Amino acid sequence: MKFLKKFLFGESEQEVIKLFDEHFELVKMSCEVFLMALETDDKGLLNQVCELEKRGDKIRREIALKLYSGAFLPALRGTLYKLAETVDEILDMLEDTAIDYLRLNLHLDNEIREMCIRVAKINVKMGRDLLEAFRALKTGKGLENTTLKIRTREREIDVLRNRIYESLIKKEVKNYWEGKILSDFIDHLAYISDLIEDSADLIQILNVSLR
Amino acid sequence: MLSELAAAIISFSLGSNNTSNAFGIPVGCGILSFRTALVLIGIFVTIGSLHRKVMETVGSLTNLNKTLAVVVLVISATMIIFSNWKKLPVSSHQVIVGSIVGAGFAVGIVRFKILIPIVVSWFVSPIGAMFLSIVIYSIIEKFISAYSIFVVERFLFFFLIFSGILVAYNTGANELASALAPLVYSKLMSPLEASLLGSISFFVGALLMGGRVIETVGKNITVLDPLSGFSAQFSAGLTVFFFTNIGMPVSTTYSLVGGIVGVGILKGINSVKFSLIKKILAAWVLAPTTSFLLTYLIVRGW
Repeated sequence: MKFLKKFLFGESEQEVIKLFDEHFELVKMSCEVFLMALETDDKGLLNQVCELEKRGDKIRREIALKLYSGAFLPALRGTLYKLAETVDEILDMLEDTAIDYLRLNLHLDNEIREMCIRVAKINVKMGRDLLEAFRALKTGKGLENTTLKIRTREREIDVLRNRIYESLIKKEVKNYWEGKILSDFIDHLAYISDLIEDSADLIQILNVSLR
Repeated sequence: MLSELAAAIISFSLGSNNTSNAFGIPVGCGILSFRTALVLIGIFVTIGSLHRKVMETVGSLTNLNKTLAVVVLVISATMIIFSNWKKLPVSSHQVIVGSIVGAGFAVGIVRFKILIPIVVSWFVSPIGAMFLSIVIYSIIEKFISAYSIFVVERFLFFFLIFSGILVAYNTGANELASALAPLVYSKLMSPLEASLLGSISFFVGALLMGGRVIETVGKNITVLDPLSGFSAQFSAGLTVFFFTNIGMPVSTTYSLVGGIVGVGILKGINSVKFSLIKKILAAWVLAPTTSFLLTYLIVRGW
């Protein structure tokens, strides 16, 4: 019976799809928690972002194991694994950003902070869009609108990142390390959107493969 | 004893070379393990070998007696071993049919009413598979555009296995049956005994040598995307199944080549390797001609 279930309904494949669903949920949740942490300066929430990254890592490993145990046709496996890795990188980047913010002692100049919150808000929307794109891939609905939204939001973040730097260079920093951590924080925060965009591209590649 | 040994050698050779026709793509793709492919091929080749139509056609080309059957099978087995050694893409049933016709000419009995449709089916089968693969590819491409990629993946998964099973059945009912026809129609063996001898030898060939050939085919065929691979294989499977049911001995390999050319044409003529097709065409003409001449000369000189 177990063999039949595995053979006819693709038990391993269903498990991989479920794991991906969880992975994308984690990205969405992690973006939301990070935004809340930034808005409330709550250390506990920042630690929660780090915890979510660990869960993401576990999911990526499980996906890899299932794919290499034979789930899906080989023509899909490479792209699916690359997708799992990229989604995991989003969670890594969120963790890095959270750690940078902890290193900054939860302190940001008001003008910079406001723009960073705007970036984090867009990241939240992109996280939701990414989940929507994956669900569209699952159901076979059109992806174009969702991926277009993701690309537009990513460009919005690029513009914001440049504006943050324009403001940043006018500010005084106490020492090299404060400047470096601040710069890393902004780069990491903005890079989250690039990774979300990369994941959306992979979803689009998956959608046209095998056709 | 010599004829049984020769038939076993031909069946062994079919097992080592033709396993890849059925399960080269699923094993190469990692959908099936070689062990599972072996079990499936063992079952469906045996079932196929019980099908009598092709055996009847090949066996009725001339009046085969025990001596003629020995000559036909020994010459065919020698030619097949030689072509395997020289890596020539020779179809075993063409060698056997050519040899039987050679023996028939030598003794003055050839049933042209049977021979002509066989030769026509050799022309029609690869061309038919080529057109069928174009139709199948176009229909599936249109059909799957409405479904999610994960549904498409399941569809291809099942149909690649189904297609492999169909090809395995055809191999037993068509190519193996052609090899066993001289044994049965010269009354050296009953159909059931011949089927058992053929299936066991085929299975041993698949077990000992099939893996190596599958590896080569699997690696070479991965340049095809799963949909193209499936369309080519399924069209070849359906074509050979059709000819098997009208009792015509045709080659799965040549039909598969026809199917691949069809998909290649659909995707752009540049993707078709014409140098390889020329080599296959040369073998297509030379194999039956050589076996015909060899058998004719030997039987006449006897």
